[in-house]
Amino acid sequence: MSGENIVEVGLKPPLIKAPIYTLREVLQNKFLIRNLVVREIRGKYRNALLGYTWTFIEPALLAIVYYFLFYMLAGNPDELYAMWVLIGIIIWGCFGKSLQASVSSLTRNKNTIHLVYFPRIVFPMTAVMGNIVTTLMSCVVVFPIMMIFNLPLTIYALLIPASVFLAGFLATGIGVMLAPLNCIYRDIEHLIRFIVRAGFFVSPVMWTYEMALERGMFGEAAVYNPMLTPITLARHGLEGHATTLPSTVIALCVGFGILTWLIGSYVFEKYERRAVKYL
Amino acid sequence: MKSTVISMENVTLHFPKLSSLLSMVTGVFKKKDNKFTALRAVTLEVKAGEVFGLIGKNGSGKSTILRVMSGIYPPDEGSCYVSGKVSLLAGIGTGFSQHQTGVENAMLYGSILGHNESEMTEKLPEILEFSELGDFIHEPIRTYSAGMKARLGLAVASAIKPDILLIDEVLGVGDPQFREKSKTRILNLVEQTGTVVIVSHSFGLMKDICDRVGVVHKGKLVMVGTPSEAIDAYYEITE
Repeated sequence: MSGENIVEVGLKPPLIKAPIYTLREVLQNKFLIRNLVVREIRGKYRNALLGYTWTFIEPALLAIVYYFLFYMLAGNPDELYAMWVLIGIIIWGCFGKSLQASVSSLTRNKNTIHLVYFPRIVFPMTAVMGNIVTTLMSCVVVFPIMMIFNLPLTIYALLIPASVFLAGFLATGIGVMLAPLNCIYRDIEHLIRFIVRAGFFVSPVMWTYEMALERGMFGEAAVYNPMLTPITLARHGLEGHATTLPSTVIALCVGFGILTWLIGSYVFEKYERRAVKYL
Repeated sequence: MKSTVISMENVTLHFPKLSSLLSMVTGVFKKKDNKFTALRAVTLEVKAGEVFGLIGKNGSGKSTILRVMSGIYPPDEGSCYVSGKVSLLAGIGTGFSQHQTGVENAMLYGSILGHNESEMTEKLPEILEFSELGDFIHEPIRTYSAGMKARLGLAVASAIKPDILLIDEVLGVGDPQFREKSKTRILNLVEQTGTVVIVSHSFGLMKDICDRVGVVHKGKLVMVGTPSEAIDAYYEITE
């Protein structure tokens, strides 16, 4: 060992490369992330008689509640309406839970952060991936539904898992951006909880893209909501046909995801080390 | 002349204090220090193959020095350089999951400490043997006693082979027999590892294993010397 290879602790590549090297750090730590994801999921469904089945019992129960709510308010919904709400809840839930979990990922892991060093991007990534995995498990519920409604199982069913990943991806950039800030002011966490609740109604969970289109102006505005794309893609996949969403809407959504990731990873790398001192 | 493997130059570290909105408003009229200085211009060099001890009262900044070396906190002023892979042993069993088995937790903790899958698979038999948990290893660790958890944690933590090992008061867990065994294991680890920085309150141990010892007081490194010089200085300062 010579004195020449002595390097400064915590030296990182230039910030401009943050979107790329954080991804590399994620790949380098995949064994760790996998273990942490398993820990998170095990912890969530511990000591539950029904165990992992809760991943789809919960959205199913919610869908029933919203079905009756809608039935009382609007009367006579489409027979597929309950199914649309169910898949909407699942996909929105993936986004909402991923966002909340990633925003609070550093604060929740403060004990680990104070005692061991590894790239901290691992924490928000674990939070998102944990929710993607549980959401994929809850998607099992679509098979009985497809049988009940006589929907054909086609190649387009793959749109459902794709939407789960897309929803998780949309949450990643924002979550990574806000996680360091949440170490300083926990207000962020409370604000995000509110935004997730409000966003539920602004996004096509209880309504659909097709319903919005019938309302003219409202439909035009709805396409600017990035969450419209994953939810609508999943519904079309469930119905077993190619999506009728214009490709510009899909591009808008993916573009939003990439843009938030670029900004988010930059902000995370810039502030993370200062932020953990507040923990 | 041995090369320098850890070099801290004038490291100063502040911890911010958080103020609420109310105190921010009232604070405009009062001049108030809103940070806590944990380290003040610490300069320190550790040579290859050296066992360096740090002593000082609780809260003096010993552990913070190790955390700066391991990259947990970046210094606000000054800089810290290291050569090779650094491992910090602190808070044995960090990140244990109560609902998973001993084996799963061993893998989890190993990955937290920076091992990849193949390293852990290779070391697992040795870890399980050292932990002396027998069949309990397949039970969820919420059923373990505190000593059993500590044994598992230490077994994993001491299986590492870094270039520089930082030890933060991890001895003295478990029953007397295991404590003896773990001390031997740590000492072996210290011997095998090139360079070690150790924080401990057991001065007997420090005398036995350290080449040099530094005394930390109120965030400053007040002196560095032979273990007995440092221990004498410690009593002088703290009295």
